[in-house]
Amino acid sequence: MDLLLHSLPLLARGTITTVYLSAAAVVLATVLGIVLALLQLYGGIVLRALVEVYLYVVRGVPLLVLLFAMYYALPYANVRIEPVTGGILVIGIYFGAFMTEVFRAAVLSVPKGQWEAARAVGLTTPWILRDVVLAQAVRMAGPPFINTCVMVVKGTSLVAIIGLADVTYVGKQIVERTLAPFEIFGAVALVYFVICFALSRVGRYLEGRVNYAS
Amino acid sequence: MPANEIEIRGVSKWYGDHQVLKSISTDMKRGEALVVIGPSGSGKTTLLRCINLLDDFQEGEIRIGGEAMGYTLDAAGKRVRRSETEIARMRAKLGMVFQSFNLFPHMSALKNVALGPIRVLHTPPKEAAEQARAMLARVGLADKADAMPGQLSGGQQQRVAIARALAMKPTAMLFDEVTSALDPELVAEVLDVMRQLVQEGMTMVIVTHEMSFAQAFAHRAIFMAAGEIVEQGEPAALFQDPQSRRLQAFLDRFKQGYKL
Repeated sequence: MDLLLHSLPLLARGTITTVYLSAAAVVLATVLGIVLALLQLYGGIVLRALVEVYLYVVRGVPLLVLLFAMYYALPYANVRIEPVTGGILVIGIYFGAFMTEVFRAAVLSVPKGQWEAARAVGLTTPWILRDVVLAQAVRMAGPPFINTCVMVVKGTSLVAIIGLADVTYVGKQIVERTLAPFEIFGAVALVYFVICFALSRVGRYLEGRVNYAS
Repeated sequence: MPANEIEIRGVSKWYGDHQVLKSISTDMKRGEALVVIGPSGSGKTTLLRCINLLDDFQEGEIRIGGEAMGYTLDAAGKRVRRSETEIARMRAKLGMVFQSFNLFPHMSALKNVALGPIRVLHTPPKEAAEQARAMLARVGLADKADAMPGQLSGGQQQRVAIARALAMKPTAMLFDEVTSALDPELVAEVLDVMRQLVQEGMTMVIVTHEMSFAQAFAHRAIFMAAGEIVEQGEPAALFQDPQSRRLQAFLDRFKQGYKL
């Protein structure tokens, strides 16, 4: 108990780093996801091909390998990125691919009749996208979006390996000094669980909102 | 102003090798209610969708209020599609109602009706909302302004869809089998609204299977089969005294209905 109390400030700081990394990576991944989904759906053939390449590369390479590439390989190319920024970039870009799928599927889930009804009223494509298609797609995307956010939060734990002081890294450090893995890693696991559980609850709430009538 | 609201001249359309419209021509006077009947696959819905260019057509010309819809000739005399903006502007002059309503499910009935005027006619939102209320009252749904489409019955949704089209103050209305997806007891409330429009002198193209409605209220009927206009004329005459064997067969099947 004493041990946990002493570790608490450190774990709290690690938690803040984890939350910060997660939030920043989610923002980056979401922006990437929306933009790339729209490019893939409505862009020219070149843009569509580029997005495809990005999706295949990112989906085909583990997140850990991408982190290693950023941390160990880029310096050889004389590109130095500060680890926190680098971590956010890599995680954001990695999960951006998943977000692209989330938003692409959501846009495609809007029935063709919605486009036709909007066209028949005389709306031009930008307005149709904004008022009719994206307005509905965003609601449809809610639950899978939250799901991907949960994956991002858990994915940030990998940055411990490149030495970023997130809650996993801090936990490992404390365990090395105190030799109390059960208590400390239990606490670390609890941190992730609480964040992800809260997200899931939000997801449930959004799921209810997809049903417009209620 | 031209006397004809809609002019259709030699319109042909192909899906690959398959010709779905074969040089269709017909003119519609202002205030005329035209009913289009025919077996499924006859091209009647396609023709309707060509009028507001939801479907492209490869040959011929459709004029709305004298203006060629969808296509124009470039300097070299080649037929080119107009810009999306121009097409959207012309579509706004035509109201269309679909078989499956296609209301925007995330907007209240009022917003469904007000969206077009706000975005296309640039009506100030407050004014658009007032007009939308008036339109909803016109289709008998004054009390449903704040309801979401999912809370309305099929007949009510379809009436909102009619109000949405009317809110654009169209010069003509297109109806694509608008009662086909409705429970029988809800058909009448939609047909009532359409009858009212006929009587108010709205120019209407109505693709339908409601023969008794066609006979009672339409000014003219067209029978299509295999992409062609086979017969046309005053509805009662057409239905009672069909000249072609194809129309005869079509009507017979209708009269028989479902028999064991």
